[in-house]
Amino acid sequence: MGANQIGGHAAISILETYGVDTVFGIPGVHTLDLYRGIADRKMRHIGVRHEQGAGFMADGYARASGKPGVCCLITGPGLLNAATPIGQAYSDSVPVLVLCSVNASKDLGKGRGRLHEISDQRAAIAPMTAFARTIYEAGELPQAVADAYKVFETGRPRPVVLEMPLDMLSAPADLGRPQRLKAEAPKAKPEDLAAAAKLIDAARTPLVIAGGGTVDCAPALRAFVEKSGALCVTTTAGKGVFPDSHPASLGASLSLPATQDYLAKADLVIAIGTEMSETDSWNDFVTFNGKLIRIDLDAYTLTRDYEPTVGLLAEAGATLQALMPMIAAKAPVDLDKAAAIRTRNRSGLTPLQQKHAKVLDAIRAAVPADGVISTDMTQIAYTANTYFTCEEPRTWLHPVGFGTLGYAMPAAIGAKIACPDRDVVAIAGDAGFLFTVQDLGTAVEQNLALPIIVWNNDLLAQIQMDMVRLDIGEIGVRPRNPNYLALAEAFGCRAVRPDSLSGLTQVIKEAFRADGPTLIEVHENAAYLA
Amino acid sequence: MTTCGEFIVRLLESYGVDTIFGIPGVHTVELYRGLADSPIRHVTPRHEQGAGFMADGYARVTGKPGACFIITGPGMTNILTAMGQAYADSIPMLVISSVNQTDQLAMGDGRLHELPSQRNMTAGVAAFSHTVLTPAQLPQVMARAFAVFNSARPRPVHIEIPIDVISMPIDAALSAKAWPLPSRPAPAAVAIKQAADWLAAAKSPAIVLGGGAVEGAAEALALAEHLDAPVVHTVNAKGILPPGHKLRAGENMALPPIRKLLESADVVLAVGTEFGETEMYPDARPLQLQGKLIRIDLDPEQLMRGLPADCPITADAKLALSDLNRQLASHKHTDRNGAARAAETFKAAATHWWPAVGVHQRIADVILKTLPDVIMVGDSTEPVYALNQSYQAPTPRAYFNSSTGYGTLGYGLPAGIGAKLAAPKRPVVVLAGDGGLQFTIGELAAAVEAEVPVIVFLWNNHGYGEIKTYMQNRQIKPIGVDIFTPDFQVIAKGFGCAAVHVENLDQLPQQLTEATKRKVPTIIEMRPQA
Ligand SMILES: Cc1ncc(C[n+]2csc(CCOP(=O)(O)OP(=O)(O)O)c2C)c(N)n1
Ligand SMILES: Cc1ncc(C[n+]2csc(CCOP(=O)(O)OP(=O)(O)O)c2C)c(N)n1
Ligand SMILES: [Mg+2]
Ligand SMILES: [Mg+2]
Repeated sequence: MGANQIGGHAAISILETYGVDTVFGIPGVHTLDLYRGIADRKMRHIGVRHEQGAGFMADGYARASGKPGVCCLITGPGLLNAATPIGQAYSDSVPVLVLCSVNASKDLGKGRGRLHEISDQRAAIAPMTAFARTIYEAGELPQAVADAYKVFETGRPRPVVLEMPLDMLSAPADLGRPQRLKAEAPKAKPEDLAAAAKLIDAARTPLVIAGGGTVDCAPALRAFVEKSGALCVTTTAGKGVFPDSHPASLGASLSLPATQDYLAKADLVIAIGTEMSETDSWNDFVTFNGKLIRIDLDAYTLTRDYEPTVGLLAEAGATLQALMPMIAAKAPVDLDKAAAIRTRNRSGLTPLQQKHAKVLDAIRAAVPADGVISTDMTQIAYTANTYFTCEEPRTWLHPVGFGTLGYAMPAAIGAKIACPDRDVVAIAGDAGFLFTVQDLGTAVEQNLALPIIVWNNDLLAQIQMDMVRLDIGEIGVRPRNPNYLALAEAFGCRAVRPDSLSGLTQVIKEAFRADGPTLIEVHENAAYLA
Repeated sequence: MTTCGEFIVRLLESYGVDTIFGIPGVHTVELYRGLADSPIRHVTPRHEQGAGFMADGYARVTGKPGACFIITGPGMTNILTAMGQAYADSIPMLVISSVNQTDQLAMGDGRLHELPSQRNMTAGVAAFSHTVLTPAQLPQVMARAFAVFNSARPRPVHIEIPIDVISMPIDAALSAKAWPLPSRPAPAAVAIKQAADWLAAAKSPAIVLGGGAVEGAAEALALAEHLDAPVVHTVNAKGILPPGHKLRAGENMALPPIRKLLESADVVLAVGTEFGETEMYPDARPLQLQGKLIRIDLDPEQLMRGLPADCPITADAKLALSDLNRQLASHKHTDRNGAARAAETFKAAATHWWPAVGVHQRIADVILKTLPDVIMVGDSTEPVYALNQSYQAPTPRAYFNSSTGYGTLGYGLPAGIGAKLAAPKRPVVVLAGDGGLQFTIGELAAAVEAEVPVIVFLWNNHGYGEIKTYMQNRQIKPIGVDIFTPDFQVIAKGFGCAAVHVENLDQLPQQLTEATKRKVPTIIEMRPQA
């Protein structure tokens, strides 16, 4: 700290206090003073090609590492360009912190037609955030960032937007040495824990549903499942938190009939860190007849849609650990059933899904257990959500709830930047890939060893199927696609079209060791998939 | 049986919509049911941001609203920036989207594509946002939307339809006919008399024409000539005075000679302008007018923003200007030295142009000479900032860009596609920088698919040049502005477009001419060194 510090410096140094070392963004006239802070404080800046990319990168960064992803954006178009990633992070409970500029405080709400102005950008973005706040003076920053981290670390994480008026960013500001303010996660009440333990001990066929809220307590979860004799199914966001190879695992199969049948009959469901939402079961509501224990950090989620017999408003890991000494060790009763369900779940594949499965097997063979797979809204990912096996948490990234296109590649970039020592691969459909294609340039610029698989069927396949099924007639679903290999090469990227499944495995492995990204095109009609 | 979705398409036909921009999704397939058999053309962009910008470009050329079909959630967050740009520049745009089903609205169940409130989010960038809860509301809601487009200050309108409502049957008695739309407000006679008296008595009047004056272009020209008053255009008004007109005093109200002209005029008549910051570059201090100010605007609220008027007139520009012409007809045309004042102002203003203005004007001269009825659509890039100062458009609605108002990037290419669809016989040249073009590069595929031969003049300075200059001027170490630049020639060809380099201006005419003969876009790339 020292002389000549301004609001822009203060914003960056408070981030440093919280251990932020990387930000994603594009500078503009409005954020010059924020970038003065970035430049002077030597914060790592990842320059992107569209603010949507910045948002998805921050999301991928956060999902892969557990650390909040941070963006620095300009007023108006910069912020609203990130609206889709912010919405995605909201619905998947991902900690993303957005710092942006806004017009000078004296101009706010006046509608003077100033550059980048909209009537109220805070109000526009607020519905997709835990909170969105205007910071009028640098002195408000420590509390605001502390509040954000309270959401990220002790609540159900959701995006936070802090907008800083131009005059605040350029005003003198010296925060001295800001301190990190710590918050405590809520703890379950002893009597509720006791009630839960009683239900667990009484259950014969308990089933754990592990959601995205469990990804940081895989060992505790595993110990709990094993001791309680339960079987475990995960949501898409929880994929890998319970190893797919474990005999008590049902995988991430909430949408599949065999699992739903089991769920319906389980005498106790223990739902941990999950919204139990439509986008996991693909049913309006799941039905079950047993008792329900829910563990969630968010009071609203705890009771939403499904009234729990016992609700524990608390952090997943600590709660599971607290329950361990209170419950009796039981042998799992249904391991045979679990094996049968797994087999049934993997058997009923349609011919198209069988094609997907071949490709997915070839990918799985290339990616180590701690490797990160970042996926888009494409048919092959829908198949993979249940089919692909994961052994570790924070390895499967998918835009679950909000369901946007264009997520996979920029999120993979963010993941690779967060975890340079892990292998990261992106899988996008031919249309989804084009949504954010420009950020190939960012991957090249950052020299990321990133395989990007384009699953090409020259179709908006899911939508085309729906149009045909509903007798609507095909409109706008057969895109005139570019030559993906040429496109990638234009970005200075390696580009390959493998001609066998083993070749696919091989090029992915090579791509992990390359000095830049590799685009890998796999066409649904490729001869080797026939 | 007609469904609500089919009915919407019929309504749109009745209101004269001939083109819809959209990417179909599971939530909107029912909107497409009516489209297959409709004369309305569907154009598929590669990102909903592209849909919005295309609709904007289409609207600016035709004056008719651009229409989009957009999916719930990510589709809507993707189009927000385009709505923001259209809102700031008062462009009519109709965004019809799906939303989650009625009984699930705002429940926060984690449904696919769900947002806590889509309407709250769009409220700040739309004249209104309406949720259609029963199909019977549709005729009225649509009429209201078109009343905004036709009879008020045009702005985006958002109509969202829950997915259960989209497929509901329509009562056979419900008519899909367009409602007669309200007339635009005529000026109050007393106000016109007041204004006419002042103008008649004025010795050194001056006129500012904004985007709101475009539909009264002929009347504005006649009035200026009758009053012998110098005219200042805003960017969106360019072309109201034909090129080379003797009363043209220049653009950019911040340039000291233009500021002086207006500040010292005894009466200033301002039509359809908000005196926005982006018309006053780089010095946005409000004008200190010595004389009287008469303002004409369709929006009474707008008359209370920016400079306070001595005679604020709420009226349609065309009606008010013809009333003024009529009132003033009896006054003898007097020589107010207009041409000389205009010429003097213009000449002095030109000495304030930065060097790049001359460079880009020479390029524009070549383009205009080769393609005399060209429509120039620009992004936020150096050539555009320059031409905003100096360019004379051949007609109104033939020069527009996103550097005004909201000031976003990525607008040029998709808005150019929309413009070309609206005016297929006129050449459309997109002025884009390398950074801005990357924002929405995927739309090259949409242009190839729809056979829209826009010509992209790509000013490739390998980075965010405008922002780099700002950083250097403000002693900030350049960061995030020297970005890796892909090979646009190969990209263009990968998309199936033509692409060429021009080394000097002599090569430009031939390349432009050849580009006009193609069915696909052409990228004409030029480097600053050339
Ligand atoms: C932003 C956004 N727009 C539209 C949709 C609707 N949508 C869902 S999947 C899909 C098709 C994607 O096509 P592609 O990426 O080629 O994948 P495929 O299903 O063909 O494998 C579309 C258009 C969406 N989910 N998000
Ligand atoms: C969405 C958005 N992000 C960032 C900006 C800030 N900005 C304005 S101009 C500009 C540079 C654009 O680069 P390019 O298109 O190459 O044009 P150049 O200035 O180099 O001519 C930037 C980053 C903006 N206006 N909008
Ligand atoms: Mg596809
Ligand atoms: Mg540039």
